Amino acid sequence: MDNKLLSLAGVLALGALFHAVPAVAADEFTLGAIIPLSGASATTGEDQRRGIELAVKDVNAKGGVLGKPLKVIIEDSGGKPQTAIDAAKKLVSVDKVPLVIGEYSSGITIPLGQYLVQEGIPHINPASTSGLVRKIGATSHSMVGLDNVSTEFAARDVLGHGWKNVTILAMNNAFGQGVAEEFRKHFEAKGGKVLSTVMYTLGQPSYRRELQQIEAAKPDAYVFTAYGTEGALIMQEAFELGLQQEKPFYSILITMMNKDTPAEFKKGLIGMDVGYLGAGGESYRKDYEAAYKEGFLSAYGGYAHDAVEFAAAAINKAGSTDHAAVLKAIDELGKQGFDGATGEIKLDADRQRTSQPYLKFKVEGAKLVPYE
Amino acid sequence: MSDFLIHVASIACIYGMLALSLNLQMGFTGLVNFGLIALFGCGIYGAALAHVMGWPLIAGLAAALVMAGLLGLFFARLGRRLSSDYWGIATLSIAEVIRITVMNESWTGGAQGISGLTLLFGDLRPWDGLARLGLFALALFATYLLCEKLVRSRFGLAMKLMREEPQLARALGHDINGIRARVMLISAAIAAVAGVLYAHYLTFVGPDQLVSADTFLIWSMVIVGGIANNRGVVVGAVLMQFAMAFVPFAKDLLGLPTDFVAAARLILVGGGILLFLLLKPQGLLPERVGAGK
Repeated sequence: MDNKLLSLAGVLALGALFHAVPAVAADEFTLGAIIPLSGASATTGEDQRRGIELAVKDVNAKGGVLGKPLKVIIEDSGGKPQTAIDAAKKLVSVDKVPLVIGEYSSGITIPLGQYLVQEGIPHINPASTSGLVRKIGATSHSMVGLDNVSTEFAARDVLGHGWKNVTILAMNNAFGQGVAEEFRKHFEAKGGKVLSTVMYTLGQPSYRRELQQIEAAKPDAYVFTAYGTEGALIMQEAFELGLQQEKPFYSILITMMNKDTPAEFKKGLIGMDVGYLGAGGESYRKDYEAAYKEGFLSAYGGYAHDAVEFAAAAINKAGSTDHAAVLKAIDELGKQGFDGATGEIKLDADRQRTSQPYLKFKVEGAKLVPYE
Repeated sequence: MSDFLIHVASIACIYGMLALSLNLQMGFTGLVNFGLIALFGCGIYGAALAHVMGWPLIAGLAAALVMAGLLGLFFARLGRRLSSDYWGIATLSIAEVIRITVMNESWTGGAQGISGLTLLFGDLRPWDGLARLGLFALALFATYLLCEKLVRSRFGLAMKLMREEPQLARALGHDINGIRARVMLISAAIAAVAGVLYAHYLTFVGPDQLVSADTFLIWSMVIVGGIANNRGVVVGAVLMQFAMAFVPFAKDLLGLPTDFVAAARLILVGGGILLFLLLKPQGLLPERVGAGK
């Protein structure tokens, strides 16, 4: 009985797998994307999903890809390398997509990219900024400037305000560790001094201990980076502890946390983020706000949007899904420049984005206002 | 499709080894280990550190075995003082301490992890997937034979006696601490080998691979397959791994949103454990009582 039950279950599971035909009609053109829709980075993942959704609408309004309407098969990475690789294997060997976009955390993008490079599949990294991304391999490209680009901008900006001694507060994950380390490098190379670096664990009920630790160093300013609700809690507690009233706070990638923070807890907050500039950026912002009735959840939806637009343009340029032709088209498009929501996208010889329009932001009321 | 199936089967083999390792501890000896993932972690980080130092793969395997062996002995040593439920909690916390340490140390690559490990049989493309599956299946089979031989030996009887009646085992002259240490050493070695194979398959090692949720995934495999039945836990591992792999296809077929995948996987693990504990606690293939010798 048990053995029968067992073999039945086994046959059912295998049979279902073999018969699982991807839900894609033959008259659709498919790309694959792997993003964190569950786990610690799920909010950013949702923002990426929205960016992809808007890009698909836009591409289809312009006639689709190779004459067919575009569909992006989105898979959840669960914030884990293993799950992301599982998803990539599905996209590549079952759905047979010609290009894969993904993921968010560097710790996942790197193994994911390496797998795709082994398979010779074009890969577009829409978010990971670790310097190690540069070494993924020949078929991997980045839509986002790596850590060194954004933190250099931030370091220059902070020094420009005359703050020479700072402390850094960043989340303890691949992104936070990368930002803290790269910022310190650039800041100290330009003559500043990082008095202390505090890495916090995500998901805590309170960040008072960390705030008191950075306060103890007596800096000229507090440099920090935080995701949405975490950033809101940090700002609220910094306000309650009186830190905000004494010294300025500077937020790296300020759009990640601005929206969740009430106006009373972020008076005088300044920071930097990607500028959504030019015609592409403006129309993306408008479409986003019209579709989701709120501002950006993070800075990453725009890159995911641009990854889809860029991929669609490259494949249209190549005129086929042949890997070599697509890679050649990406190369040419990257040299010639492509106008996306995050500004002009140009790729260097390592297939990484060369420059990126960053903006200085300050808080006025609840809103973020760019300034010079 | 075949590449995908080969991949899922390869991972299933690795989980099968981990399930056998947990089964030796929990199923046969009554050692409720909630920190199994840390022993696996010794395996993946052994391989990764060897890669960083530029050592050959075999040195990574040796490092992994040494680290896992030491940790296994440490777990066993703790068991002298703690009753099994407290021991379970201690193993869970030690695994978490190790994960957090690894995440914060620079020599382990921190949260960024260590990438670029050599892919096993990478040169054999396009047959590398099959070659790896062959190796993993062989490793799983060897582990299975080892476990079977072990539990059918006199030592296996002592393990089961320790699980059922530790006092009686002691009264009969069995060295409880010695049994615990030996079981932990053997199962740690199995987990470490699984870790090394896994690291050289995924080519990336990071602290996210040490989260306690993965321990419970392995628990679910053991419980679904059949506690204290080696064949059962391998079946459990294969079934759970294929079920997890099937979820995204169910999503595509039914047109469900992508977040469904994460939720469905959690339900599979949690619900699977609960359902079997309530309705079929002996699992798909129950323990064969009296089949020793």
